[in-house]
Parts: sequence; structure tokens; C-alpha cells
Amino acid sequence: MNILTNKLALAAAAAAFSLTALAQSAPDDAQIAGIVVAANTVDIEAGKLAQSMTKNAQVKAFAEQMVTDHSGVNKQAVALVTKLKVTPAESDLSKSLKQGGNDNLAKLKTLKGKEFDKAYVDHEVAYHQAVIDALDKTLIPNAKNAELKETLVKVRPAFVAHLEHAKHIAASLK
Amino acid sequence: MTFRMKAAVAAAATLLAGAALAAPAVHIVLIDGMQFIPQTLEVKPGDTVIWRNKDPFPHNVTADAKGGPASPAIAAEASWKFTAEKRGSYPYVCTLHRMMKGTLVVK
Repeated sequence: MNILTNKLALAAAAAAFSLTALAQSAPDDAQIAGIVVAANTVDIEAGKLAQSMTKNAQVKAFAEQMVTDHSGVNKQAVALVTKLKVTPAESDLSKSLKQGGNDNLAKLKTLKGKEFDKAYVDHEVAYHQAVIDALDKTLIPNAKNAELKETLVKVRPAFVAHLEHAKHIAASLK
Repeated sequence: MTFRMKAAVAAAATLLAGAALAAPAVHIVLIDGMQFIPQTLEVKPGDTVIWRNKDPFPHNVTADAKGGPASPAIAAEASWKFTAEKRGSYPYVCTLHRMMKGTLVVK
């Protein structure tokens, strides 16, 4: 994929994501919890696939870290909603995240070698950017419970670090 | 700061220094919300520094300079202990999340 199509794909992914976010009314805490769990699960699944598929040590280490970090965030999120007696609920955004995740897995499964690595890492860049946008525009502003809001604020820098890490690897794969 | 306050601070510092000589101190650096808190910590040779990870995923403490802290991955809710020996300023990062930066000063 050249730089232009890469950028276009990123822009398209970001646009699709933010349109979905805008079309939806403000999510409540149960829906926010559902979105957080869906977002992490999608990246854990992609990471597990990449761990088994890639031969690139850098990509493998990144994929392992994504599985570990996002599993940790999910565990914390589930512990918090259990404590708050909130059941994570579906919403347009959680459904669109899951759909995007499934589409990505289906596409990745058709690829091998360097093509796989590039597609996985490029998607990680787009995915993390999209989740940061969702955190900033939708999730953090709408979270009612103070602990839920604090958790979102505290994990945001992890998504930023992952985004920078993914961009760094994407540049090295060119 | 008035002269008297300065004198009191100096006296307190002397006492602390005396205490440090008597028994090495233990310092805690919290890892929370992707930050090292405090970001800069000053200790004396012989002191112990404990990094305590409050984030839900692993971090590490990796200084470039020899003699500085170099931890394995510190799991969520786990801690890692380091005894400062060699004087110097040791900037460090979490190599998993390179935006996380701290400095340990041993003087």
C-alpha cells in the first residue's frame, strides 16, 4: 500500500467511525462500558491473530503487548462495572466496532508475510486513532459515573502510546 | 522564605540526612495513569526505590545509563524494588510506552 492510499484508508476509517459516533445519541454508562469492552476485545482478537501469523519480531512483540494491555484494560473495566452494578449494553458504536473488527480479521486472514504485517499494523494505527477520537468526543464527555470517567481518562494515554508505537512500526515496514 | 524558615528547613534536612546515614530510606514511585509519580525522585546511595504499578497492564523502568534502574515487566498491581548504589542522574522510560518518562537522581 502506498502512502496516499494508506492515508485515504485511514481517513475513511476515521470518517466512518466518527459518522457512526455522531449518528448515535449520547451513550449512557452501560453503553459506554459496552463500547470499552468491545473496543478492547476487537484489538485482543486482532493481536492474537497477528501473534500466530507474523514472522516479524517487532510486529510479534507489538501484538503481544496489545493482547496484554487491552486484556488488562478489559479486566479493569469489567471489575469496575461489576462493582457499579452496571451491565455493559450494546449501542450503534459497540456494534460498529465489532463489525469493523470482524471485517479486519476476515481481511487479515487472506494475507501472509509482509502484506499481513502491513495490513495489521496499518489497521492498528487507524483503530487506535479512532478509539482516541471516540474517547475524546463521545466516551469521556458522556460518562456520568466519576470512577468510570476517571478510568477512561487514565487509559487514554495508553491508546496514545499504542498509536505512536504502531506508527513507528508502520514506518519501518515501508 | 524568611531566614528563620530557611534555618528550620536546613535543620530538618540535616536531621533527614542524619537519618539517611543511620538507615537507608525506602521511596515509592507510583505508576498510575501512564505516569511515574513523582516524575523526578532524589535519593541517597543505599536507599531503596519501589515502583508500584497501579495501571491495569505491565510497565517497566528502563534507564539508559549503567547503574540505573533496569526492571523486567512489572505486572498490574505488582512492584519492583531497586537499591540505588552509584551516584548520578538516571533518566528512564517504560520501553513499552515510551512517552512515560522519569528520572532517578542518586546524590
